[in-house]
This record gives sequence, structure tokens and C-alpha cells, in this order.
Amino acid sequence: MTEAVVTLRLNQQQLELMDRTIAQGVAADRVALVRLALREYAASRKAAAETAR
Amino acid sequence: MTSRQVISELVLEPGTGKAIELLKGHILRVEQVEGGQCADFNCFNLHDYKEFMHCGRTRTVHGFHPTTGTFMWSAPPRERAMLYILEDTVGQNDVLFPRCSAYVYEASYGFAVHTNCHDIQAEAQREYGLTPDDVHDSFNLFMCTGVDQDGHAFMTRQTTKPGDHVDLLALMDVLAVPNVCGADVMKTSNFALKPLKLTVFAATEADLAGVPGTPTLASQRTPKDFRNPAIKSDRPLRRDPAYKPEFPNTPIVVTELPISLAPDEIAMFNAVKRADIYGDDDAAALRDLLFSWWEERFLQAHAGAPAIESK
Repeated sequence: MTEAVVTLRLNQQQLELMDRTIAQGVAADRVALVRLALREYAASRKAAAETAR
Repeated sequence: MTSRQVISELVLEPGTGKAIELLKGHILRVEQVEGGQCADFNCFNLHDYKEFMHCGRTRTVHGFHPTTGTFMWSAPPRERAMLYILEDTVGQNDVLFPRCSAYVYEASYGFAVHTNCHDIQAEAQREYGLTPDDVHDSFNLFMCTGVDQDGHAFMTRQTTKPGDHVDLLALMDVLAVPNVCGADVMKTSNFALKPLKLTVFAATEADLAGVPGTPTLASQRTPKDFRNPAIKSDRPLRRDPAYKPEFPNTPIVVTELPISLAPDEIAMFNAVKRADIYGDDDAAALRDLLFSWWEERFLQAHAGAPAIESK
């Protein structure tokens, strides 16, 4: 599998929320925030699925 | 512990209601006399009747059955805590059902005239110059309700006993309007109309000390913040030719943000993306994931409900 690009379409309010989250030190920039969200979201779903088994 | 000073006492007879000036720091006790009686309740800012209790906001914050430790909130854009439920010996109140009305008793039961909460409220509020159109959705004390599997609200009988009560502490000066629910052919008050006792107390320092703080935010706007602060005084609606829309944050502008996903990230994404909703629109699915994650990690209230803890 090779790298893929997904292009998010975000309005100014959604970007503001991301930027305020970044300003708290959660991630370095917008791209890093999306990557963090993906990793944490996937990990939480995986953990929930394992617990349910 | 100091005892509360009684300011006034009144028995509400069946078929009646009473508008009471309840000042900040006063407590209204609505109490069962015989047991088994529902009370409907309206509440207005005493100094600006356009600020009134909003059951929609209240049920979003506290659920369908507000009880001890919850607030009664005013409607947007005010959204302030008007009352605090200091004590509730039953824990069975309702913000699902609207007030019963004359229409209900005519349409469903064939009554030309019947006691009903809307008209009782309107008559009680008339003492303060309000009209039948000013009656708002009621907070229904002692009303036993739920939602069935079909999504319909239902009501059933109550088990309240003499002396059971709800204590409402005013957090601002309000006009509090309780009434004896007019429903004697429904289960709400166990098929009978009974009196209710009302007592107004001055809250003690201990009462006040137990009230949690709530936020003071810029979004809690009052008439001084309105583009149109004047209350409309006639009935027809006419277009303002000078009107120019000023919707906040418009125009909504969309910006593209490309995200390169490594193979392991693609695998993660494919495992959790909501293809059932977004199909092959990965951009929409990733945006959903981003804000779903944000809600789970940072939101301090149910989605769509405001956080009410003061910072």
C-alpha cells in the first residue's frame, strides 16, 4: 500500500477550533492534529472492540 | 444550622394558579397536601418578561427529569440559570410534556370547558399584564413520564404523599407561576384534582452555599446586545425595508487541507471510517473522525448541550 492524500474541506469555524486546540499544545500544526485524531480514534475503537470480545 | 424564615404561605386550590414575586435568594416550596397532584410551572425574569424559563435548554442540560442539584435555564440568547432545585423529595419531574390545554380536552374528551394548565397559567399571569400568548412550556413538577419504544412521550400515575415537596431557589428576581394541573381525566394526578401548598422562604447561608457556580459568558446576551432591542407592540408582521442581514461568521468559507496518510494510517482509517454514511467520500469521513475525536477528548457536556460548570 502506498501513501494516499485525503483533502479535508474545513470552514473557518472548524479551523478556529483546530487552531485553538493546537494552541493548547495538543499538536504542532493542523496536519499533525488530524494525524493525532486518527491514531487516537482508531486506538480507542480497537480497544473497545477487544473489550467487547 | 439556622432555620429558614417563612415569607408567605398559600394553598393553591384545584383549578387555580398564582403568580408570585420570588426575589433572588428566596425559595419557593411546592408541596403536596393530599399527595398525587401534578403542578405546572412557568417562570419569568421579574424585570424583563422576555427572559423566561426554557424547557428545551433545561432538558438538554439536565435530561427529561430535572431534580435536586439541577437548574432551570432561560431561553437563548439569555441562557442564564434562573432557578436551582435545592430539594426534591420525590425526584419525578418532567420537561417533556407541554402544558395541557383547552384544545386537548375538547378534541380528545369532548369538553366545551375544562380546567387546563394553559388557561390557568394565563389567568394567573394576567395579574402581571401578560397575555395567553406569553404562557411558555411548563416545568411539570411531580409528573411521572417517560419515552416509549416508538419514541412517544407517555405519562403515568404518581406516588407522591402529603408533605412531598420541591424547593426552587431563585437565582434572580423572577415571577414564579405554579398552578394545580387541571388534568382530572388523565393519569398525571391519579384522576383527581387536589390542592397544593406554596411556601416562600428566605434562603439561609447554608442553602446558598450549596449552589454550584455557573458560567458568565459573552454569548449570554441581553437587550443591550440586540440589534433590535424594542419589543414589538402590534400584531401584524411587516417587512423592514431597511433590513440588511448580518448573520454571524458569514460568508462561510471552505479551505482545503491536504493530509498525506502513510500506509499504516490508511489501514487505521479504513478500519474505523464511517463508510456506511459517507460511502467513498474519504474527505467527509476523515472530517467526521476528526471532530468525533475532538468531542470525545475535549467536550465536557453532552454533544449539543452547553457546559454549565463555571471555570
